[in-house]
Amino acid sequence: MLFVYKKKRCGIYMIKDRGFLLIFIFLGAIIGLFLMVPLVQLFISVGPVKLLSTLQDKEVYESIFLTLKTSFYAVLFVCVTGIPLAYLLARYDFWGKSFLESLLDVPVMVPHTAAGIALLVTFQNGEIGDFFEGMGLEFMDTTAGIMIAMMFLSAPFLINGAKEGFRKVDVKYEHMARTLGASRMSTFFSVVLPNAKNDILNGALMMWSRGLGEFGAVVIIAYHPMVAPVLIYDRFTNFGLNYSAPVAASMILVSVSVFLAIRFVNNRFK
Amino acid sequence: MLKVENLSVQKGDFSLKKLSFEVEKNSYFVILGKTGSGKTMLLESIAGINKIEGKLFFEQDEMSTFPPEKRGFGFVYQDFVLFPNMSVKENILFAARYKKIENSDVLFADIVDFLKIEHLLERKITHLSGGEKQRVAMARAIYSRPKLLLLDEPLSAIDPTFRNAIMKSLKEIVKRYDTTIIHVTHNFREASYLADNIAVMMDGAILEQGVANEVLNHPKSIEVAKFLGFKNIFPASMLEETYGDSVFSVDPNAILFSHTPSKNEYCFRCKVVEIMGITDHYKVFAKVEEHTFFAKVPKHMFNKLALEEGVQCYLCIKRRDVVFI
Repeated sequence: MLFVYKKKRCGIYMIKDRGFLLIFIFLGAIIGLFLMVPLVQLFISVGPVKLLSTLQDKEVYESIFLTLKTSFYAVLFVCVTGIPLAYLLARYDFWGKSFLESLLDVPVMVPHTAAGIALLVTFQNGEIGDFFEGMGLEFMDTTAGIMIAMMFLSAPFLINGAKEGFRKVDVKYEHMARTLGASRMSTFFSVVLPNAKNDILNGALMMWSRGLGEFGAVVIIAYHPMVAPVLIYDRFTNFGLNYSAPVAASMILVSVSVFLAIRFVNNRFK
Repeated sequence: MLKVENLSVQKGDFSLKKLSFEVEKNSYFVILGKTGSGKTMLLESIAGINKIEGKLFFEQDEMSTFPPEKRGFGFVYQDFVLFPNMSVKENILFAARYKKIENSDVLFADIVDFLKIEHLLERKITHLSGGEKQRVAMARAIYSRPKLLLLDEPLSAIDPTFRNAIMKSLKEIVKRYDTTIIHVTHNFREASYLADNIAVMMDGAILEQGVANEVLNHPKSIEVAKFLGFKNIFPASMLEETYGDSVFSVDPNAILFSHTPSKNEYCFRCKVVEIMGITDHYKVFAKVEEHTFFAKVPKHMFNKLALEEGVQCYLCIKRRDVVFI
């Protein structure tokens, strides 16, 4: 009886809201299709046979692997350095905090090629470049160069995600853990971090996926070894669309698969 | 056992103002105050969460600068603050990760039995009711073997039907687990049942402290009396000229109306100005000179006296019902 009543009520809502819902569904569908159709079209135009053979091309799979790996290293580096920064920003008020927060968002706003030039100026020339060179670390046309280019432009995604995550964890959890005998550091690892985990993971995934697509800054600091976006560009300019499209489809397939796998594992162990 | 000397804390616009008090070992100390009077801030300061000015001694050791993890004080927040990333059992056993708990297995079994939470142990925190959360939070705090247990309004989120049973358990904790409790609340009924000693707090200051019965029944200031629910506070000179500047209070239930004065009681000529009918009694407001008394009159008595607004009669108070403040 209750079910019938609910169903009837639901029916009334549907009738009343039909116009409103139709407008919103129509508008939503426009952007949804715009985002989906090019990707679907790409896979259709390449076809499964060509896609499979491209994935077996040594240059392609090495390039995709390099992209995934370098972006992952960038995420790891920001996990170690950016998560503490995010915690400080979430928990403390200090002089210049707003300025620092704005500064952290700047890389998201600047043109990527401009960011590449800035990195080149900093790490290839001058004292900072010399310092790293003295340590045996060079950035021009190296994996390290690709990593810093990816990191510079995508780190804010992880830092901001972690900051939001930490803000959601009531400071009273920390107080409580400490009255139960946990030190500040133990409290961070046993209570704060696990409860901010989802936002940090989302931020890390955003950073990682943003890194995978990085082209403008990477191409300036390290054309070689070629990451997937550079390889796609290289094949497009040298051989045309037929050679670049399968590489693009392969890269999208691999990164989306990894992305979904991480989400699945995270939801499974929530 | 716990000695607080001139404790001051400043947070934004609010401050705790040079608080001093002592809490005896194995006693139940209640800090009573309105919301926003600084009770939680005081508990957090004792726990080491806030940086304080002044001194805090525990069993002769000065702990003013000790971090919370070195003080060994348990804490139960009003909203219980159970860790959402852990099960009930993991929450309770949390302290064992960081310090050695003597006879931990026996203690755990005893706490689980005492607080009747056996069936909750494997549950997630999100699947607990308010009362269950409260018991788990208590269990977690007790399991850490606190020398002092700080309770921040632990009964405010509890269904009133379970409150009495939980109050009974709280009272028992002191002896059973050889600890001392400081409990903050705004509920003076809760305080009167639980407290051995009471401190009344307002606007970051302690206005009065002492043995529970004494503070609750004979408040020393009008402010405290009003907070404790004392009604009909008027100058004692109304009763006798010789009482001077002091004030008195009388329970609304102890006020008697009569059409003739009585020689053995304090009786004043009054005029009934307002009557409000409640289920089993009437609230009667009667004016004696410029003072308006509030009385609760049982229905049968009200009908017998035929009271109505505008009626002039006598308002009488027995000497034994007068409380001087």
